[in-house]
Amino acid sequence: MEEVLRIEDLHKSFADLAVLKGIDLAVNRGETIVILGASGSGKSTLLRCVNFMEIPSSGRIVMNGQAVGRAVGGKQTYSEKELTRLRARVGMVFQHFNLFPHMTARENVMEGPRTVLKLDPAECARRADTYLDKVGLGWKADAHPSELSGGQQQRIAIARALAMEPEVMLFDEATSALDPELVGEVLGTMKELADEGMTMLIVTHELGFAYTVADRVLFLSEGRILEQGTPAEVLTYPKQVGTKNFLRGHGSFRLPEPQLD
Amino acid sequence: MEHVWDFSALLNNKQLLLIGLRNTLVLAAVCLGLGLFFGMLVGAARYSKNPLLYWPSTVFVEVFRNTPVLVQIMWFFFAFPIISPFDIDAFSAATLGLTLNTTAFSSEIYRAGIRSIERGQWEAGKALGMSYGEQLRRVILPQAVRRMLPAFMNRAVELLKMTSLASVIAYPELMYQAKIISTIEFNPIEMYTSVALMFFAIVFPLALLVQRFELKHKAR
Repeated sequence: MEEVLRIEDLHKSFADLAVLKGIDLAVNRGETIVILGASGSGKSTLLRCVNFMEIPSSGRIVMNGQAVGRAVGGKQTYSEKELTRLRARVGMVFQHFNLFPHMTARENVMEGPRTVLKLDPAECARRADTYLDKVGLGWKADAHPSELSGGQQQRIAIARALAMEPEVMLFDEATSALDPELVGEVLGTMKELADEGMTMLIVTHELGFAYTVADRVLFLSEGRILEQGTPAEVLTYPKQVGTKNFLRGHGSFRLPEPQLD
Repeated sequence: MEHVWDFSALLNNKQLLLIGLRNTLVLAAVCLGLGLFFGMLVGAARYSKNPLLYWPSTVFVEVFRNTPVLVQIMWFFFAFPIISPFDIDAFSAATLGLTLNTTAFSSEIYRAGIRSIERGQWEAGKALGMSYGEQLRRVILPQAVRRMLPAFMNRAVELLKMTSLASVIAYPELMYQAKIISTIEFNPIEMYTSVALMFFAIVFPLALLVQRFELKHKAR
């Protein structure tokens, strides 16, 4: 199996607060990894360190066998240019979509290829059409974000990230801000991507989705990986007390299987 | 007292009034252009984490926002030449006072405009791989400028009216010309009425434009 991304002994502190306390993780091409954990466990920070939205306090990020930054006196230092180039290779989807409100859906999707990759207009247009269709919103190409539902906005945001043709996609609680009835369409789009072999790191609270789609589930607690394994190993037969408590909290009110026919 | 309105002196001094009108518009345009330009720089300096940029710009803004423009103009015309080796003419003194005032106010407009854009917009641009400049140019400014425009147009309205203050240092703008003509022709009623109407004719359409803009913005 080919390794795309490796995280080595990653630490991140904000002022005096240590959020990540040594994360090691190797991600293979095409793998879908779901990261679970209570709020404050460091899930989002971990994701944001992968594309350097946050600069790690120590440790290394290795993309395709190449470490990001240069080691100077035992510490990685980064040039802004290198980070900008790296971010272009990693797609990110945010909790609050963050679409550009002054652009149409199509312009949103074209913006990366146009401004960052500086591709010619024909190629930008081709990518916009391709990825809008992929998320099933070709028919909304000329709509502004304010005219779209939350689910549609998030799917456009996914298309915008895909248009960069990234090597890894990061999803930071992509469905947490959505009304419950809109969650399904976004998860559906994410599952399709996973099935097509996209490499994905997903922070989510949707345990059912994690169980169905993930190749591997990580459980984070207090800035460390407490437990990891297949969805069945972590979600059905958890070994650690922390994981068990987390799952107990999530399962305290359960619906019997609804009969929908 | 019965007053017989007589506007004939106005026509006799048409030339003087036109010069005044031109000077008023030139002064306002120059100060608006310079003020918006320097306001951008000062606004950026007030964003800076460098104390050598932050503190001087902050002091500048507070001083010029919180003192009357009339005092500033008088100061630059009468006090500044005494303590500096330069002589200064009325146009330069008026331009300095009005420009610095416009700079101080517009720097706040830039600052508030850019700050009003949610952090997620910066992040979305950054995550796509945009440089700081690209984030600003492609994502932040197009949205911020739209929000700033009514405030800038308000500045233009204020500035147009403030140009009349330059009359106190004998800069021949509309107000000063009116004062001159009225002392020669003994017609302050007609003169100042006409000047008020002329200002109104310039400023009112601008103010209407601002209002329409604000309504449109709200409807969005």
